Amino acid sequence: MIGLQHYLVVSAALFALGVLGLLTRRNAVHVLMSIELILNAANVNLVAFSRYAGGGLGGQVFAVFVIVVAAAEVAVGLAIVLTLYRLRRTPNLDDADILKG
Amino acid sequence: MDELTRSLAWFRPEIALVAGLLLVVIVDSIGGAWRGPVMRLLTVGALGAALAFAFELQAAGAKGMLFSGMTVIDPLSAAFKLVLVAAGLLTVLAFSFRNSRELHGLGQGELFALVLALVLSCLLLAASNDIVMLYLALEMVSITSYVMVAYLKGDRMSNEASLKYVLFGAASTGTMLYGFSLLYGLAGTTSMPGIQEYLAGGIPDANRFAVYAVTLLLLAGFGFKIAAVPFHFWCPDVYQGAPTPVTALLSVLPKAAGLAIALRFFYGTLSVPAANAWDLSGSIDWTTLLMLVSVLTMTLGNVAALTQTNMKRLLAYSSIAHAGYLLMGIVALSENGARGLLIYLAAYLVMNLGAFLVVTLVHLHDGSFDLRDYPGLYRRAPLLTLAMAFFLLSLVGIPPFVGFLGKFYVFAAVIEQGMGIYATIGALNAAVAAYYYFKILKVMTIDPGNEDKPALKLAFADQAWLAAFALANLVPLLFWDRIESWARGALVLYAGR
Repeated sequence: MIGLQHYLVVSAALFALGVLGLLTRRNAVHVLMSIELILNAANVNLVAFSRYAGGGLGGQVFAVFVIVVAAAEVAVGLAIVLTLYRLRRTPNLDDADILKG
Repeated sequence: MDELTRSLAWFRPEIALVAGLLLVVIVDSIGGAWRGPVMRLLTVGALGAALAFAFELQAAGAKGMLFSGMTVIDPLSAAFKLVLVAAGLLTVLAFSFRNSRELHGLGQGELFALVLALVLSCLLLAASNDIVMLYLALEMVSITSYVMVAYLKGDRMSNEASLKYVLFGAASTGTMLYGFSLLYGLAGTTSMPGIQEYLAGGIPDANRFAVYAVTLLLLAGFGFKIAAVPFHFWCPDVYQGAPTPVTALLSVLPKAAGLAIALRFFYGTLSVPAANAWDLSGSIDWTTLLMLVSVLTMTLGNVAALTQTNMKRLLAYSSIAHAGYLLMGIVALSENGARGLLIYLAAYLVMNLGAFLVVTLVHLHDGSFDLRDYPGLYRRAPLLTLAMAFFLLSLVGIPPFVGFLGKFYVFAAVIEQGMGIYATIGALNAAVAAYYYFKILKVMTIDPGNEDKPALKLAFADQAWLAAFALANLVPLLFWDRIESWARGALVLYAGR
């Protein structure tokens, strides 16, 4: 029987993978994908708690809002990655180094 | 339906901003060469109306929940709304497409719409009463800021700054969201008063570790918004890359809104209200954690600022240091701490916007943000140098200026709580900060150089705004008692009971 704990383990694994991706990936698009993993880890949690821990529908509504916000965030993020790509011809974050000090 | 109409009546500042935002977008899409001044007028009008409504909210002193408990109306949120709208209005009035060399000739409509959206989202954030609302408002603040930072489309610096902001912002708010999802699982509700009730009931030992972990995760989101160490890495790059008027706006608005919601969350959710104060009993000890963050923030900000030569970067590190002092008001966990935070924020608003106005005007005439191009300004622009002296002394926190007022209240609040060592570290930091603020002043007045350059011809409006900001840094001390009673009256935090 699959219960709350199974979902929590899956979401913790997703979160850890997302953080790992954030720290190791050098391609801006890969970093955005890692952020998606983190947001979806939270979504799995929200829906699981809503179903099993008696949190009512609040968690599921929250998850829908998160999906919308994530889409908006990625739209803006990709637009900026694209403009920067036009200027520099590379999506690599290590080359974004004119601002430092 | 009844509740909706009742809520809308307390929602007038936001409604004014939404109306202004829509009108700006419509006017911009009509086209025509005349639309620039019209959109500026609309923006100023919307912000002015919002300011008037915010005054009205504060005078009414109402308490209650709006929109089924999503946001809240109380004197504290009204006071923060006042500060936030004033910050937006002052920025739009003092900075323009005329006096910013970077923005000159760019499309205006988008920026005005974004400014209104940013102020609106900051108002929503400062009054959130539910973690769903908190998350949505936080993301709205972030996304509008990302776009504003990348406003110089063909400029590599502006785009690089924005990319760093997006990736950092999305990662920290994502981390915060994961914390929220766990908090929802523990408390079984997304409402902040509900979570407080859960925590006040005593946390079972099995869940104590989880609540600690959640607090750490949430700190990532709050820390990112107010640029606190170790979530500050984006701050210098974004401040340097963004157009200076946007930098000025970002240095005040998101920081103020972030502190407002941090205050509301840490006082109104993670602590338990006691007689005339708040109490940690039953909840977890977040003050020590936040004190550590605050000490690191002010120390790192000040030390890193010592070696900067780019004025925007220097002011970025200085704003990080100020975030550390501002956090003192939250760590104190008392009414005096919250009052200190509010007064400090109002003071920070006038001194920081003033300093950024000077940087913008020097760039307009000399095309440089480098401190090494500042010598001789004393001779070339006496009024500008005098105004900058006021702002810098205010940022140091020297008595006749408002910066002192802010520091006085937060330090007093911390000492009152018996955190003497903490206050000493803060005072030592203020001494370090004095070094680099005075260094700017020394470069402008004493250092030789630029003898051959002509005097700066400042437009009348720019001179008037410099004088206005300079006076705003000095005059409020004459009305000390009134400011204190204003802040005291603002200290009612409605926690949904």
